[in-house]
Amino acid sequence: MFKMKHKEIGFVKNRKKFFIFSTVLMLAIIISSFVFGVDLDIRFKGGTMVDYSYAGEQGAVDLEQVSEIASDVLGSNLTVEEKFNKLTNQNGFEITLVDNDGVSSEVQGDLTDKLQEIFADQDIKQLSITSVNPTMGKEFFIKCMVAVLFGSLLMILYIGIRFRKIGGVSAGFMAVVALLHDVMVVFGTFVVFRMPLDDSFIAVVLTILGYSINSTIVIYDRIRENKRLYGSTKSLGEVVNISVNQTLARSVNTSVATILSMVVVCIVALIFGVNSILSFAFPIIMGLISGAYSSVCLASELWVTWKEKREKA
Amino acid sequence: MKRVGKPVFWIVVVITLLFTTLSITGITTQYGDVKNVIIKGVDQIRWGIDIRGGVDVTFTPESGKDATADELDAAAEVMRQRLVTLNITDYEVYTDDASNRIIVRFPWKEGETDFDAESAIAELGDTAMLTFRESDERDVDGKPSGVTKETVILQGADVQRAEANYGAIDNTGKAEWYVQLKLADSGKTAFADATTRLAGKDCISIWMDDTMISNPNVNSAITDGVAIISGNFTQESAESLANKINGGALPFKLETENYSTIDPTLGTGARDAMVLSGVIAFILVCIFMIVLYRLPGIVACVALAGQVGGMLAALTGFVPGMNSFTLTIPGIAGIILSIGIGVDANIITAERIKEEIRSGKSIDGAVELGYQRAFSAIFDGNITNVIVAIILMGTFGPPDSAFATLLKPLLFLFPASTEGAIYSFGYTLLVGVVANFVFGIFASKYMMKSVSRFKCFRNPWVYGGSRNV
Repeated sequence: MFKMKHKEIGFVKNRKKFFIFSTVLMLAIIISSFVFGVDLDIRFKGGTMVDYSYAGEQGAVDLEQVSEIASDVLGSNLTVEEKFNKLTNQNGFEITLVDNDGVSSEVQGDLTDKLQEIFADQDIKQLSITSVNPTMGKEFFIKCMVAVLFGSLLMILYIGIRFRKIGGVSAGFMAVVALLHDVMVVFGTFVVFRMPLDDSFIAVVLTILGYSINSTIVIYDRIRENKRLYGSTKSLGEVVNISVNQTLARSVNTSVATILSMVVVCIVALIFGVNSILSFAFPIIMGLISGAYSSVCLASELWVTWKEKREKA
Repeated sequence: MKRVGKPVFWIVVVITLLFTTLSITGITTQYGDVKNVIIKGVDQIRWGIDIRGGVDVTFTPESGKDATADELDAAAEVMRQRLVTLNITDYEVYTDDASNRIIVRFPWKEGETDFDAESAIAELGDTAMLTFRESDERDVDGKPSGVTKETVILQGADVQRAEANYGAIDNTGKAEWYVQLKLADSGKTAFADATTRLAGKDCISIWMDDTMISNPNVNSAITDGVAIISGNFTQESAESLANKINGGALPFKLETENYSTIDPTLGTGARDAMVLSGVIAFILVCIFMIVLYRLPGIVACVALAGQVGGMLAALTGFVPGMNSFTLTIPGIAGIILSIGIGVDANIITAERIKEEIRSGKSIDGAVELGYQRAFSAIFDGNITNVIVAIILMGTFGPPDSAFATLLKPLLFLFPASTEGAIYSFGYTLLVGVVANFVFGIFASKYMMKSVSRFKCFRNPWVYGGSRNV
């Protein structure tokens, strides 16, 4: 596929372009998160979400009536939405209730009984329910953040030790900056496609963290080797550029292989209509692209900039 | 490293493929209706409730009550017992003392399509105060009143054990379902006194909080501490009553804090889609690797198959008796990531061999150097992922697991909340990396070194070099 010729691509030379591109991208993501708003899943913010299916044509169940019944049982501040389920091939609706302390299973059972009684002909069935207490949702969210933060610190530490010959801690720090970039891209994908941040978001972020740090380390490893090889005969920028180019075939091929697999997952999920997998596979593809880009074009280039600034000072 | 003999290639290939095939198909023997599992295959994988559907509930003691660790454990024990009576054996029950919670998870049974989750949750959490009271006087709301309110004969702790039985209980010899109570010493005298007083005259009512669950007549004085409640029971109602009485010994009430249920029909579709896409993706990656890297590509495919087999075996437990592990959607993400890293390890090595061949090294030298030089990159990449995996397992695993204990000094600020789904990600990633070390690095090295000595593979072209005629 990708054949390396003798021509070298000037990654280090053109690094400013990459930095500008990424900065603009980050700004765009931040702005769009304000424009579209960030939608936290009830797993994090607390609340209740119930999915029902019903038999018959779409609209066979009057949603306004459902809304009234649900308000009676659960209290106000709820929304009812039509929802077609491709997997079971059935029409249905979703009742979402926010800002509450979670609905007890008894109350929930009452609602289902009442709906089944009133729409007796429509064979109403409860498909799924998620009810989360807000404090617990918040705890879960904080815990995820702590895990990511703590993981990043340990990575910096590990890279610092393993790559101390090339000034490890700063290299580790730049690797984490590149990771942050990838997390932002995943976040942006969720925001732009109006997907609520839920546990798939956490799973995607974790996957991308692992993938991107791995790619960055492969390049750092080559820099470490080339530093030994060239010593001080070549400048840091040159060594980094050679290393990025030497590992480029690997970077591209690995990315093609992994992205290819995830595209397959995406297509199958689309055909089967499995939203839970689609909402996970698609952001992963975006993250993989970003991960490949940030390792090749950002991490070591940022590090060169940092080192050169330090030398001048 | 010493030269590796030619047969090594075939030995490694056969062992790897045999292992992988076994981890997929498993071995079962059938004697009549009894299925005997010798090696566990893919169909033994425990799918998480986010894939297969099921129930996830968090219980907490009623507000204001700070239960001790012992009390929580006692409550969890009761729940386990109830789950088994509900015929659910595939459950997870955790207690979390720091945040005062009991977490219960269980998937639907195979083939379950119509399961009343609400009543199951209600029954689980229904660990209310159990009382035996005199008579069955009730007010308009069904609450105890009059003498029934005032005279409590027994409390939950006075009952040692209740069980549902089937058999003849009187002279007619007709078998029926009944509930047998064994009383603790603390309750024997009180019960004997009450039944002596009430025999033939009144009834004793059994209450769960303010709800009467049964009001059997007292037929005769019961002095030996073994009582029988009978009358119109079905198997189900007898077991349910026995269960409620057993659970009634709990020191406090439980409330549901969080819960979610997912319908089984949503689950199986997702599972099938996941398996299908896994197979297609694996085939495509193999084709890609072979086209790109020729011989090292073929070796990589065998190594990847071994890695997949290793992960499957770690999920099912492989041999009976070994614990199996629940696979959730984030768990599948972990598998994908580790296969990605596995593909990467093979690509790094193959690229390195190609590079050495192009720089004019001999085939043996190139293979040797390729593995040697690729190792440090693969090692560091894998170890950083091990770090991620361990943190996740510690943060989101059961509070008493080894990893959680390890991280306790760092996470003490945060209550241990078990998020099974993400724990599963950590687990699959960890075993994936281990499998990658075994197959992607060591097995692949031996295969490559051995196969490169075959006469037909002494041409640099098969390693991605230019044709050497």
